[in-house]
Amino acid sequence: MERFTFVQKFFLYLGIAVFLTFILLPFFEMFMTSLRPLEHLFRSPYQFWSDDMSFQAYFDIWDTVPLLGRYIFNSVFLASVTTFLCMMFVIPAAYSFARFKFKGKTISLSLFLGVNMFAGAVLLIPLYKLLRSMGLLNTYAAMFVPGAAFLVPTGIWLLKAYLEKIPIELEESAWIDGASRMYILRRVVLPLAVPGLIVVGVASFIGAYAQQFLFAITFNQKREYMPLPAGIFEFVGYQSVIWNQLMAASIVGIIPVLIIFLFLQKYLVEGLTKGAVKG
Amino acid sequence: MATVSLKSINKLFDTTQVLYDVSLDIEDKEFVVFVGPSGCGKTTLLRIIAGLEEATSGEIEIDGIEVSKAHPIERGISMVFQSYALYPHLNVYENIAFPLRVAKLHKTEIEKMVQRAAETLKLTDRLQYKPGQLSGGQRQRVAIGRSIVRNPKVFLFDEPLSNLDAALRGEMRVELSKLHKNLDTTMIYVTHDQVEAMTMADRIVVISEGKLEQFGTPMELYHRPESKFVAGFIGHPKMNFLSVPRLSINSSGVTVDLPEIGEQLLPVDAIDMIDGQKIEVGIRPEDLMLSATETGLPMKVEVLERLGGSTLVYGSVHDNQNFCALLPGDTNVREEEIIKLAVNPANVHVFDSKGTAMKRREVPIV
Repeated sequence: MERFTFVQKFFLYLGIAVFLTFILLPFFEMFMTSLRPLEHLFRSPYQFWSDDMSFQAYFDIWDTVPLLGRYIFNSVFLASVTTFLCMMFVIPAAYSFARFKFKGKTISLSLFLGVNMFAGAVLLIPLYKLLRSMGLLNTYAAMFVPGAAFLVPTGIWLLKAYLEKIPIELEESAWIDGASRMYILRRVVLPLAVPGLIVVGVASFIGAYAQQFLFAITFNQKREYMPLPAGIFEFVGYQSVIWNQLMAASIVGIIPVLIIFLFLQKYLVEGLTKGAVKG
Repeated sequence: MATVSLKSINKLFDTTQVLYDVSLDIEDKEFVVFVGPSGCGKTTLLRIIAGLEEATSGEIEIDGIEVSKAHPIERGISMVFQSYALYPHLNVYENIAFPLRVAKLHKTEIEKMVQRAAETLKLTDRLQYKPGQLSGGQRQRVAIGRSIVRNPKVFLFDEPLSNLDAALRGEMRVELSKLHKNLDTTMIYVTHDQVEAMTMADRIVVISEGKLEQFGTPMELYHRPESKFVAGFIGHPKMNFLSVPRLSINSSGVTVDLPEIGEQLLPVDAIDMIDGQKIEVGIRPEDLMLSATETGLPMKVEVLERLGGSTLVYGSVHDNQNFCALLPGDTNVREEEIIKLAVNPANVHVFDSKGTAMKRREVPIV
């Protein structure tokens, strides 16, 4: 039996098509722009396709902004460090919240959720003062320390939900066999939580990648430490904006995240929906 | 190798009390089964012995040493969980080896001990499999393997057979009894299934609503239940109960008025019975027979279950009281028919209004 009638199917696909267009059109336009020569962009009437399109911009970007490679590296490096740091806090915290009873558990959990309500921008000035007094301004740490801090709460909530689904008997059994808490966490809980860890890890990485712009332009003035979203500003000159190269650089910058996503999407979808329907 | 004794164990979860003053002494090498309906506190009691749960008050001694606050490993116990609790990411070998790795034994020693456990449980050709690739019975054996590998003093089993199908359960019962003989250690086993309790236990602890009802050998519980609860819980099919008027009490027993049968002297120690004109009699289905004469307890047959060797007759007597009789296989009865049942007075159990059993005079020696 078909679950949907033809009409229902038609509207379903139409909905998906509209949604995907909204999401993907900017990327498509970005790609097209990167292929056009700069003067082509301002041609009138607008030409969707022309013969002088090329991948030249992808070669030119490295000359226009000599530090571009460094920026891309910085971006990936910052996001990785942020993710690693974040996980170091999230794993023990989520495990404690999932398994132990202690005073203030509910309150602290709600507080963590509350922190998420504040956009990072609201806290920029206090954070600036804090980082200055700690002497961290204009370092990598200025970007990954607040970055990790903002990602920890979501991570805790995500991982806690996952850890709670691991049967408690497994831990009790290991406890009876003489294993310590840390041993249980290392040998029993974490291996079973791998899909959950990947979800949290990827979510943190993407979060870190996305939020670094704000922290970078506020807490860092050293060019060598800039991540890509901030570095890309060098394509914006006083007189003109080199749009095609800007777009090319953006695409190059997205590629690392895209690759990670493609590899891990199976886990990501599995992890986010796991336990939702399984009885 | 180990005795276990519990002294006035009480357990409260927040404000709900789940165990009331439980005391019992389990002897060395004994196979003791905790049995009771679900939610009676038997698993909690086992978890307290294991050290997974702390008693609100009371003491636990293993081998005469107070262990109420001790870690499970110091108590020398091991436990098999209802859900088996196998580590899905480790293969059978690593699952069995887990306690040994925790104890940081040497590789060759671990190898030797795992092989020995695997041989005992016929798992040698399954060592490289993951738990997900095993059948229910095999998983169960791996769980047992993990618990025997480090030679504990006391084995704890928490409803280990309840996830298996009926045939396999029967098989595993026999295997567990054999295992107990081979290992020759103290075992404590929790189940809600009185058949498991009767078939495997040296002694049974019957628990109801957090209270210890009776502690004795299977046949003691069967022949001399101390309360209506135990009488109804032990034995299959369940004992029939009938509320009847009390006529007189003397040193030879209590005389009651059985429906249609009339005055009947039941040989029990009833002299201490104080109150209540009504008492309850309990008759096991297997103690009932078709009356040879015209007099007998009339029962309207509602459902017949012919099992071949025997026939189970379900129906109602007296004031629509449900009744069951176990009769020979070829008994000539039909549904809707009214049959007359007879019983040997010595086989009748008598309970006062509080459900306390009066001691029967004539009981097979057990």
